[in-house]
This record gives sequence, structure tokens and C-alpha cells, in this order.
Amino acid sequence: MDTNTTSNEYVRGTLKTIVLNLLAEEKRMYGYEITQEVKERTGGAIALTFGALYPVLHKLEQEGLLVTESVEVDGRLRKYYSLTTPGNEAARVKTDDLERFVDAIRLLLAPKSLATE
Amino acid sequence: MKRLQENKIELLSNYLKKSGLSAELLPEILDHLACEAEERLWDGDSFEHAFSGIVETADPETLHVLSVEHNHLLAMEKTLNDIVFEGRNKSYGAYQLRKGYNSTMQRSLLLGVTFFLLIMLLPNLYARLVPEPEKDDIGFQVELITVDVKPEVTPPPVPVEPPKAEPQPNTVKSPSFDVLPDNMVVEEATPPTVDDLEHALPGEKTIEGNSDMMDIVPPAAEAPAGKGKAVEAEAPKEETFLVVEQAPAYLGGNAAMAEFLRKNLKYPSQASRANIQGRVFVSFIVGSDGKIEDVKTLKGIGFGCDEEAERVIKLMPNWKAGRQSGNPVRVRFNLPIVFQLD
Repeated sequence: MDTNTTSNEYVRGTLKTIVLNLLAEEKRMYGYEITQEVKERTGGAIALTFGALYPVLHKLEQEGLLVTESVEVDGRLRKYYSLTTPGNEAARVKTDDLERFVDAIRLLLAPKSLATE
Repeated sequence: MKRLQENKIELLSNYLKKSGLSAELLPEILDHLACEAEERLWDGDSFEHAFSGIVETADPETLHVLSVEHNHLLAMEKTLNDIVFEGRNKSYGAYQLRKGYNSTMQRSLLLGVTFFLLIMLLPNLYARLVPEPEKDDIGFQVELITVDVKPEVTPPPVPVEPPKAEPQPNTVKSPSFDVLPDNMVVEEATPPTVDDLEHALPGEKTIEGNSDMMDIVPPAAEAPAGKGKAVEAEAPKEETFLVVEQAPAYLGGNAAMAEFLRKNLKYPSQASRANIQGRVFVSFIVGSDGKIEDVKTLKGIGFGCDEEAERVIKLMPNWKAGRQSGNPVRVRFNLPIVFQLD
């Protein structure tokens, strides 16, 4: 539980990028699918709560980066998200940004001797 | 994968509703939680266990935060009107009016400007569409006058007196003659003798006339017995001639007259302003004493030119009178006076 909350702290800042990046690969996903995908890929290290995920999805939709379509599955309405053209562009830019940021963080966190090497 | 039964989904839905999740989010979250529940069932959990687990993750507080965040997101799209009318009676009409205010204003402005321009340009447009009448166009003005037609009262025709039996003169039968062989000629049928015709006229039959008249005299024309005295118009003292043997002339000749006119004639300002040019034909009488009288304009051009011409003619000194057989006489004289702008 403790580790989960700390990871949540970092996830919050990168959630948008994670979602965009996933959708860029998968084309069309629904909310639960995204959480499962993230959980699977990270081996459970990052668990997205729906309380965090859905606001981000809605915000991206409102910004015009995502479009939704509702499909009825098993008597329930399932909302699928997919990227728009500007969404694709945003996904690319954000992923690049995050990668550079991660590299920078890695440099920061590495022992000083390694970093100066 | 195990499917959740309807009543289980209903259970979840009711829970979410009870937690105060906004209706817009409900289907999505329901689907999410249902998926999660199915996953847990798949893992071998009982539904009750799975449900309690779900309730644990989706506790009312989390759901409330979700709803609030969603509302905030929607609020960004809301206009001021939506905020003002939040929780008020929107169907009353004011909301619709406010919402449509911008488009209404735009439309009315457009219409107003168009209408105004149309009004302003109307005279121009009209002038373009209706050609201006040419200067030498002839127009007729027809005036309609109601004519009071009264049936003409014709006096009843004077009854014509039936002609009186005309006096019938004596006639003698004047037989017609047939050409016959000699032996068939009847002696009696002889033409009337001169003696017979002395007191009778030749006629078809011999009739004893009813008149004693012998001679037929045409009735004498009854000339009205005038008084025998013609009313003669009093002869004018002096006859005014139009043509005489020796025409009247300005003393000093035409050149002197032209000089006089040039000196005295003023171009009327009214005419010069209106750019009026032309001839004024003035008629006057040169008396036997050479005096000028009865000045009048025969044909003028108006704009004060006629009056000016008359004034100058009246100013002229006495002329040399016209003469007829040696005697000075009154002569009517016509003089054109030219008004010309430089």
C-alpha cells in the first residue's frame, strides 16, 4: 500500500503521457483495458486507479486529443477511446519529453562518480 | 470469462448511484467495475468477496472526487449563462433569450445596417433605374375637365303649314301623236291651236282651271325695308399703315439706332444668370409726328428681356415718320432686338 501511494505520486505527472502512448500503440481502448494493460506491462508496479484514470481521459477528450465511441457489450455501454490527429502528435511529443526527462532523472539519481564519468 | 448476471450489475449500479456518482459518468464506471468484478470472479473469488473488494477501491469518497472533477471539467465549457442559471428554471424563457442574445444581436445589426443602407441608396438606385428625361423630350400634360353635358333643348319644330292648293292654270290636252298610215289618221286628234294656248297651258288633259291667273309671276323677293342709312364705323382719325412708300426711320439711320441700343440696353441679370439668348420682336407705331407709341412685344424670350426691350424702345427719341404719297402717316413698325451673351 505504501509503495503504491509513492508510485501514484509519480504516476500522476506522467499519466497523460502513459495514456497517450498506450493509445498510440493500441488505437482503441476502454478504461479498464488501459489499467490492465499498464498493470501487465509493468508487472503490477504501476496500478492505475479508476479514480485517477478517468479524469485524465475526460480531460484529454475535452482537449480534443481523444475521441470516444460507445459500444454496447454484454448489456453495458463501453466507452472506447482513440487518438485524434492532434492526439497522435501530442502523444509523440509527450513521449519524447518524458523520455528526455527520465534520462535526466537517471543522471540525477546515478552516483556522482558515474554521472561525471 | 465469466459474465456478471443482470442482477449483479444492477447491484453495482445501485451502489454507484447511492454514492452520488453523476449520471454521465455512471455507465463508464459501471463498466469498469463490472470488468474488475468479472476479473475477480475469473480468479475464483465469490461475487460477495469481489463486490466488497470493489467497494473498497471504489469507496464513496473516490467516487465523489471523480464526480466533482468531472463537473469541474464540464464547468470549463459552461458559459456565464449556464452558471447564472444553475439550478434555476431554464424553461421560463430568460435562459433561451440570454443564450440566443449574441446571434439575435448579430442578425438584427446586419438587418438594420442593410435596411439603413437600402434607404440611403434608394434615391440613387431609383435614379439609376429610371432614366432622366432628355432635355428635348416632349411631354404632354393632359388635363381632364369634367364637362357638364346638358341635353340640348331643341325647340319643337314649327309645324309646317301644308302647302295651299296652288293656283291651277288652265290646261289643254296636248295629245301624243302616233305615227300611223294616212288612212288611219283620225282627224280629231289635232294639237291645240295658238288660240287655245292663249288662255291655257299645254297639258296632258284639257282641264278647266280653277284660277283666274293668267300670268305666273315669280313672287318678288321681299327686301327688308331698311332705313336706308348705313351705320358706318367712325373712321379713325389717322390710319395706321403697315407698308408705306417711305418707311419710317431712326434719325441718323440704322447705325445710330444700333449705337443707341448698345448704349441703353442692359442685359437683364435674370436672363444672363439663366444663360438666355435670343431675339425679342417688338412692335410699335411710329406716329406721323415721329413719336413712338403702342410698344408691345410680339414674340419674346422672357427672363426680363422683353421688358428691357420695350423699355429701351420707349426711350428712343422721335423717328422720321413714314410717308405715304408725300404725307406723313402712322406706321406700325416691327423691330427685332437681339440679346446675345458674350
